Amino acid sequence: MTGKTLLFAVTGIGLFFALPHMLADFQLFQVCLIAVTALIALGLTVVTGLAGQVSLAQAAFVGIGGYGAAILATRWGVPLWAGIPLSGIVAAMAGFVLGQVTLRVSGHYLALATMAVTAIVQLAFIHMDDITGGAAGMPVPSFEIGGRALTSGGELYYVIVPTTAVLFLIVGNIIRSRFGRAFAATRQSEIAVAAMGVDVLRYKALAFAGSAFLGAVGGGLLAPLASYLDPMQFGIPQSIYYMAIAVVGGLRSPAGAIIGAVVFILIPEFLQAFQSYLGLVFALLLLGFIVLWPNGLSGLIFRRPGARWWGGAAR
Amino acid sequence: MTAPLLSIQDIGVRFGGIVALDGINIDVEPGAIHAIIGPNGAGKSTLINVVTGIYTAGQGSVTFAGQTLNRLKPHDICRLGIARTFQNTELFGEMTALENVMIGAHRSGGYGPFVAATHGFGFAAAESRMRAEAMDLLELVGIAEDAAMLAGALPFGKQRRLELARALATRPRMLLLDEPAAGLRAAEIEALNNILLDLRARRGLTILLIDHVMALVLKISDRVTVLNFGRKIAEGLPAEVRANPDVIKAYLGERAANAIAS
Repeated sequence: MTGKTLLFAVTGIGLFFALPHMLADFQLFQVCLIAVTALIALGLTVVTGLAGQVSLAQAAFVGIGGYGAAILATRWGVPLWAGIPLSGIVAAMAGFVLGQVTLRVSGHYLALATMAVTAIVQLAFIHMDDITGGAAGMPVPSFEIGGRALTSGGELYYVIVPTTAVLFLIVGNIIRSRFGRAFAATRQSEIAVAAMGVDVLRYKALAFAGSAFLGAVGGGLLAPLASYLDPMQFGIPQSIYYMAIAVVGGLRSPAGAIIGAVVFILIPEFLQAFQSYLGLVFALLLLGFIVLWPNGLSGLIFRRPGARWWGGAAR
Repeated sequence: MTAPLLSIQDIGVRFGGIVALDGINIDVEPGAIHAIIGPNGAGKSTLINVVTGIYTAGQGSVTFAGQTLNRLKPHDICRLGIARTFQNTELFGEMTALENVMIGAHRSGGYGPFVAATHGFGFAAAESRMRAEAMDLLELVGIAEDAAMLAGALPFGKQRRLELARALATRPRMLLLDEPAAGLRAAEIEALNNILLDLRARRGLTILLIDHVMALVLKISDRVTVLNFGRKIAEGLPAEVRANPDVIKAYLGERAANAIAS
């Protein structure tokens, strides 16, 4: 471990323990919300930013994570700490299967196909009344660990933030490995990377699986934070919302997912008076970044591409 | 006569009503530098794309070291030991030259997903070994000084060499080069020739290259096959092919061929 990473780690851990003493419970709730949103957007960094496959299925995977963990808990008494990773694995398998469609469709058509997946999954949430509560939604059991129920943002903070941090580290590590390079190469030329012996379809499917896992774990952690699941939270507009976060933050780097989540969670706080125009603000942000700064905020902040992994080594 | 390393038998390809290849037979001896030449549209690139699994042939078969390639995917064919370059270069433009070559070495990376996720034991050593190997190959093709340049920003001649280094990083037994000399200056072609001869001599590589520039291929090839309109019109030693009236006709047209003959 070099001195720089040591300093980075010490600052991070120090900040992690200091924040609960500095912020009110509601603010910690927002930190948690930023963390899970960043985790969900990180899934898009992997599948769209890194592997180049447009996915508008992220809200579906978030829903699978949330509903999966909540149903496992209410029906079979599986605690959330086990149910969330289990739902993540199920979502990853579903993502791998979805990834197989990339054999036949790409680009705009892939975007439409993944959008259809979101619509279908949302319909399933609405119509499988007996296990999902239908259109009315379902309450989420509390997150219990070691006999203690974590309910407030301040308590869930100790689960959500470390989980998010570990997953970000893992994704960052993979990006800076031979596998990350193979994903990035797949984005740039499928024909060439196949000629290097890389199984393109498998890598694209793995990218979808990874994004589904991150989305579902994010959704699973979001569920106890929100304490209630409403199927309307898992539709096509939400998929686009997550894509907007990833794009505005910067699709090419994990840091972009965090920056995007901070912007999209905090903007409503500063625009209290404009609540009804929030959708417009987000839409303008998305449009502005796509046209003017396609590399997103992280691309603006970390100018030299590839300077640091969290700045854009996901080229 | 030894068994051929690559054997193309009766390959036929049609695109709609157009016959791109019509019953092509070519055997490539191990250790040979074999050239396929022919005017534009003769079907040369189609043939390479059939061998590497990008196109599926309507008829015939391709065998490499005794194994049939017909139903294999491009990545499987690479894993058997066939590496290729592309006519218009297919580099990973947003990656550095070094990273491009390291993609070629991906399969021999020597660590798994768990080590990648944790950067755990053996990661640093394996990565620096891959990097050193890639650097050696950049050195071999003479662009080591451009290792940190983005591949997309390199001049065309260097991009061609980078493709060669990247193909070599897959540790092939055979190289397929699709018009390696196109767009290169005379001095660059000379350097390329030396690299190819050197690769054959030192690594025992078999090379199949296609081109329409006769001057290049005739100089270094052991054997030359000439295609025209999807058919094989001649095959033999470079000198034989050069003197073949059908070849002259294909390249220069009927009247020129008559003029030379008379």
